Amino acid sequence: MSAEAPQYVAARVQRALAEDERTHELGIRVDVRGDQLFLRGQVSCEGRRETLAGVAHEAAPELKVRNELTVVEIRDPREEESL
Amino acid sequence: MKTRIAAVGDIHLGEDVRGRFRARLEGIEERADILLIAGDLTRHGTVQEGRVVADELRGLPIPVVTVLGNHDYHSDAEEEISGLLRDAGVTVLDDNSTVVDGHSTLGIVGGKGFGGGFAGKCASEFGEPETKAFVRHTKEIAERWRVGLKELQADHKVVLSHYSPVKDTLDGEPPEIYPFLGSYLLAEAVDAEGADLILHGHAHLGSEKGMTPGGIRVRNVALPVLGRAYAVYCLDGCDPDEE
Ligand SMILES: [Fe+2]
Ligand SMILES: [Fe+2]
Repeated sequence: MSAEAPQYVAARVQRALAEDERTHELGIRVDVRGDQLFLRGQVSCEGRRETLAGVAHEAAPELKVRNELTVVEIRDPREEESL
Repeated sequence: MKTRIAAVGDIHLGEDVRGRFRARLEGIEERADILLIAGDLTRHGTVQEGRVVADELRGLPIPVVTVLGNHDYHSDAEEEISGLLRDAGVTVLDDNSTVVDGHSTLGIVGGKGFGGGFAGKCASEFGEPETKAFVRHTKEIAERWRVGLKELQADHKVVLSHYSPVKDTLDGEPPEIYPFLGSYLLAEAVDAEGADLILHGHAHLGSEKGMTPGGIRVRNVALPVLGRAYAVYCLDGCDPDEE
């Protein structure tokens, strides 16, 4: 049996992030490069950022998780748009 | 008469962020006459999260109208979540309409919408029953919106959706998932009867501005797209110096 293709590992992690009841996060980009797993995208708070990394690690324990997720910045409302 | 509409979607609230969204709504009554929310109020669609959303929106000084999103359906508690929101004074649209009186009357038609894709690259009601059911769901929603718009009596008409009616506002999302992000059938129904504006969310990586083939403005108000608590759209020419 050959080693699992990185595409399948990435797809498995992405599915876990969407389907795991701790996360249900749909818009995360997952890339596997060598022994590293990259997570990219935006989440709403620091806690969720860490939970996602944890669930990703469980789905691919053999890889080192590189957590490049950022916390979405909410600025104050700006000028209205006139339609 | 002018109407100022504050809009946001995909607030995805839960116990871990309780209180934060409400803090951002401070002073909204000075900027807008109504707040419209384009679905995905929760993350997992649980009753507990629904309670957080209801608490954050309760007693705002301006009317609040919302639709649900796919996340709000995940735990099969959409009815209960809607009930909690209504008890908190929020109007929840589910393929129906409401009219709000202000400087002028604003009619809002909407619901969560659904996917299927965009003209030329979309699913058809053909083949397996699962495929047919998927497409039929969107068709039925679009038809209810069309009838809702036709019957609506108001100075201004706005459509509130979760899924997108056009591709323009998906720009930034991978094209492979467009069929899961919206359907042109929604735009076609609105173009048939006319409206001043269509608001949607769901496409977190998309972009804010678009237009239907019939020339109706579309705005993707998903929170990560806006990067701010809400956008304000002014119908009928707001003069910025007027305030
Ligand atoms: Fe969302
Ligand atoms: Fe969504």
